[in-house]
Amino acid sequence: MKTSNIIYIALLLFAFSACKKVIQVNLNSSAPHYVVQGNVTNQPGPYLVTITKSVNFDQDNVFPTVSGAVVVITDNTAGVADTLKETTPGNYYTSILTGTPGHKYQLYINAANNIFTTTCIMPVPVTLDSLYTQLSSFGGNTYQLVPVYTDPVAFGNYYHFAEVKNDTLTDNISIRNDALINGQVIKQPLGGGLQQGDSVALYLECIDSAMYQYYYSLEQTENQNSATPANPISNLSGGALGYFSVHTLSSKSIIVP
Amino acid sequence: MDYVGYTEQELSVTLDKKTGIDISMEPVAKELNEVTISSKANNITSAQMGMDKLDIKDINMIPVLFGERDVLKTIQLLPGVQSVGDGNSGFYVRGGAADQNLILLDEAVVYNPSHLLGFFSTFNSDAIKDVTLYKGTAPAQYGGRLSSVLDVKMNDGDDQNYHVSGGIGLIASKLDVEGPIEKDDGSFLITARRTYADVFLKLSNDTTLKKSSLYFYDLNAKLNYKLSKKDHLYLSGYSGQDDLGLGGLFGLNYGNETGTLRWNHIINDKLFSNTSLIYSDYNYNINVNAAGISANIHSEIRDWNLKEELELFASPTNSLRFGFNSIYHTIEPGNITGSGITNSTQPDNHSWENAVYIDDNWKASSRLNIDYGIRVSAFSVLGGANLYDLNPDGTIKDTLHYGSGQIVQTYFIPEPRASASYTLNDVSSLKLGYARNSQYLHLISNSTTTNPTDKWVGSNNIIKPEISDQVSLGYFRSLKNDDYEFSVESYYKYMQNQIDYKDGANVLDNTPLEPKLLFGDGRAYGLEFSFKKKVGKFTGWVSYTLSRSELQIQGINNDDWYASRQDHTHNLSVVGIYRLNKKWTLSSDFVFYTGGAVTFPSGKYEVNGYPVFLYTERDGYRMPAYNRLDLSATKQLKKHKHYSSELVYSLYNAYGRENPYIITFQQDPNDANKTQAVQYSLFRWVPSISYNFKF
Repeated sequence: MKTSNIIYIALLLFAFSACKKVIQVNLNSSAPHYVVQGNVTNQPGPYLVTITKSVNFDQDNVFPTVSGAVVVITDNTAGVADTLKETTPGNYYTSILTGTPGHKYQLYINAANNIFTTTCIMPVPVTLDSLYTQLSSFGGNTYQLVPVYTDPVAFGNYYHFAEVKNDTLTDNISIRNDALINGQVIKQPLGGGLQQGDSVALYLECIDSAMYQYYYSLEQTENQNSATPANPISNLSGGALGYFSVHTLSSKSIIVP
Repeated sequence: MDYVGYTEQELSVTLDKKTGIDISMEPVAKELNEVTISSKANNITSAQMGMDKLDIKDINMIPVLFGERDVLKTIQLLPGVQSVGDGNSGFYVRGGAADQNLILLDEAVVYNPSHLLGFFSTFNSDAIKDVTLYKGTAPAQYGGRLSSVLDVKMNDGDDQNYHVSGGIGLIASKLDVEGPIEKDDGSFLITARRTYADVFLKLSNDTTLKKSSLYFYDLNAKLNYKLSKKDHLYLSGYSGQDDLGLGGLFGLNYGNETGTLRWNHIINDKLFSNTSLIYSDYNYNINVNAAGISANIHSEIRDWNLKEELELFASPTNSLRFGFNSIYHTIEPGNITGSGITNSTQPDNHSWENAVYIDDNWKASSRLNIDYGIRVSAFSVLGGANLYDLNPDGTIKDTLHYGSGQIVQTYFIPEPRASASYTLNDVSSLKLGYARNSQYLHLISNSTTTNPTDKWVGSNNIIKPEISDQVSLGYFRSLKNDDYEFSVESYYKYMQNQIDYKDGANVLDNTPLEPKLLFGDGRAYGLEFSFKKKVGKFTGWVSYTLSRSELQIQGINNDDWYASRQDHTHNLSVVGIYRLNKKWTLSSDFVFYTGGAVTFPSGKYEVNGYPVFLYTERDGYRMPAYNRLDLSATKQLKKHKHYSSELVYSLYNAYGRENPYIITFQQDPNDANKTQAVQYSLFRWVPSISYNFKF
C-alpha cells in the first residue's frame, strides 16, 4: 500500500501519455451467491445480521434480500441462544444477547437448507483515548485523522477503523495489528483526504485474526492490483460471502478545524 | 575461450589461433555487420535448436521506448518470446513464467533484470557484446531455470586504441571508456548510465513530489589480461541501483551486484579449461518514516558460485565439454527493523546447489550432427532457518528446527539433453531435440508485472523443485544463397511442481510462506515460424508463434486445466531495418499478440454499503489484443578523423494505439446504481531523440 504510492507516482511520470477510458467488457453471469454480514459488539444490542445475494456485473446495484432464514447466535460462554427476528426483509435482529469481551459466540444460519456457521471470541477492548487531525503527510492540503490508543502488553491485537464522514460510512479499509508495534501508545495517522469542516466519527474496533484476514483480503479484492484478484477470505463456513464480526467498539468524533 | 553460444565456425578460427580468441572474433563481427542473426550455415548444420543470437549492432538499430536501447525488449521480438506488458522488459519464453528465465551477465545470475518497475532492463547496451537466448534447449553446462537461458556477454574493450563514447537521451545519459591495458595483451571497459527522470519531479508544484527521488544507475566494468600464451584472465563486474523515494516518508531502493573472475587456461592443443568464481547479489530496502516510527524492510539473495569447465576436442568428429559448478545461496527473507517498532527478523535461508555435466558434440556422419549430454543437479536444503510441517489443509502443524549448516534434505535430478540435426541437402535440415531442466529457486510473485519486492525462495521440504521436459522438432532452410533464412520449430513442454499463491494471501509480510502456496503442473506447446533477411540494404525478420500455455494447480478452478497468464495464442513480430544511404538508417517494428489470460469479476455484492466484485474463476477472461508500430531513424552526423556521432529519432507506438495496461472495475461515478470497467493505457506516441558520440 505504501510502496504502491511510489509505484503510482512512477507510473504517472512515465506514462505522461497515459489514458483512461470506460470500456465494455463482456462478463459472464454467475449463480447468485449468499452474502452474510453480521456484527456483535460490546455495546448494547440489538445486533444485526443481514443476508443478501450477489447479482451479475451489468445489473443495477440492487441486491436481493434473503428472507425466511433461521439465524441463531449463541453465547457459548454464557449458554444463551438467541434466535434472530427478521424485522425487515433480509435484516435479522437479536433480542436478548449482550456482547461481552472474552465470550465465545456461534452463528448458525439456515437459508433454504444452505448452512453457514462460524465461531468467534470477542477480543479484549481497547479504548480510543483521543482523536485529532493534522495536515496530511502526503501533501495536497488535506487532513488526516490521528487516533491515539494504547496497545495491550500481550501480542495478538487486531484493529479495524470504521470512519463515518459527514454521516456516511466511508469505504476506506484501515486495519492494523501489533506484530511490530506491540504494547505501545499508538499515534499512527490514518489516510488523508479530509477537508476543513468535515465531521468525522471514528470507531476503533478490536477484531479477531480471522476478521483481520477478511479485511486484508477485502482490501486486496477492492484494489484489484494483484495478478489474480480473488474473493476475500470469509470466516464463514458453508460457502457464504461476507463475514460475522464479534468485536469491541470505542469511538470519538471530531470536526476538522 | 568464449564458451557460450559459440559456433563451430567461430571455434575453428579459435583453434587456428589458439589464444587469439578476441582478435579472431573481430573479423567475424565485421562480417556480421550486415547480418541480423549470426551465421546461418551453422543454423542448418548445428544440432542446436531453439536458439537465437543477437549482435548488439543489430539491437541498436531497433526502435525502442524513450530511445533507451534494450536487450530484453529486443528479444521479445523473437519467436516464442512474449512481453509481460506494454513497455516492460520482463519476458516469457515458450509459455513459462518470468522467473523461469536464467539471465546471466558474464556467467553471473542477475536476479532482477529490470529498473523502474520493469520499464528498463539492467543491461546498458553500450556494455554488451552479444546476447544468446536458449528457449529451454540449452546445452548441459547451463541449468537452474525451466524456460530459457539468456546469456549476455559484456564487451571486452578494445585492446588496440582508447575510445570514449557516450549518449545523451530523453531519460538517461551514458558514458563508455575503453582501451588497452597493454596492446594486444589486455584491455578494459567501463560504462556508466544514469537516468534523470527525477529532474522532472523538481518541476512539480507539490512539495512532497519535489522532495522525491526517482532514478537508477548502472555501472559495468571489465578487465581482461593475457597472462601468458596459455592463460587469460577476465574480471568483470556490474552494479546497479534504483532509488525511489517520496519526500523522506517512504523509500524503496533495490539493485543487483555481480562479479565474475574467469581464468581461461589452455592445457594442450586439445584441452581447454575455464575456471570461474562468480558472485551475484540482489537486495531491496523499504524505508518508512512517519509519526515517530522509522522502519526498514530488507531482503536479499546472495550467491557464491564456483565453476569449472573443460573442453576436449577429442577427435575431428567429437568435442566434449564437461565440468561442475557449485553455488552457495543465502536468502534473507525480509527483515523488519527500526525504531519505535518491534523488530521482526527471520534467520537466513541457506542452500547449496551443485551440478556435474558432460556433453558431446558428435558429427556422426556428413549429414548427421548429434549433441547429447547429461547434467545431474543436486540441491541441498541447509538448516538454520525454520521449516514447517503442514496439515492437509495447508495450516502449520509443526515447526521443524535443524542446526545451522546441517543438510536437511537433498534433491538429485538427472537432466538428460539431446538434439540432432539431419541435413537434407545443402540448404535445409531437420532437427529433433529433448531437454529436461530443473529449477530450485522460485520467484513468488503476485503482481501484474515485475515487482522489485517479489521474493526468491529456495526449494525445501514443502516447495519441490520445478522440473520441465521439452521435446522439439524443427525444419531449417536457407534461401537465395543464404540471404534469407526460414525456420519452423514446434515444441511441447510439461512442467512439474509449478507454484501459485492461494487466493487472498498476504504476500508482503515475512510470515511463513508455505501455507500460502499451491502447487500443480503446467504444459505448453506451440509452433514458431521465423523468416529472416540477413544481407543487403534491407534486413529484418518476421516471427510468428502459435502457442498455448496452461496450468493445473490443486485448489484453483476446481483443479481443472486453465490458461496461464503467459498464454498468448497468436504472437507476431515484424522488424525491418533499411539503410537508405550512408547518412540515414530507417527502422521499424510491428507487434501483435493475443491478450493474455486475466481474472475478471463475474458478479457483485454489497459489503458495508459498497459493491464488492465477485470472482468465480482464475484467469477466465482475456485482455484485448495488443498491437503497436514503432519507427526510428538514425542520422550519421559528419565523420571526423577521431570523432563520429549520430542522432537517433524514434517514435514508440506510432499510430497511438491504446493498448490496455490494466483493466479495473469500479462504481460508476455518475450513477450510484451501476458499475463499469475502466481501461488504463500507458504509452501512446512516445517520441524521443538521443545523441550518441564516439572518439
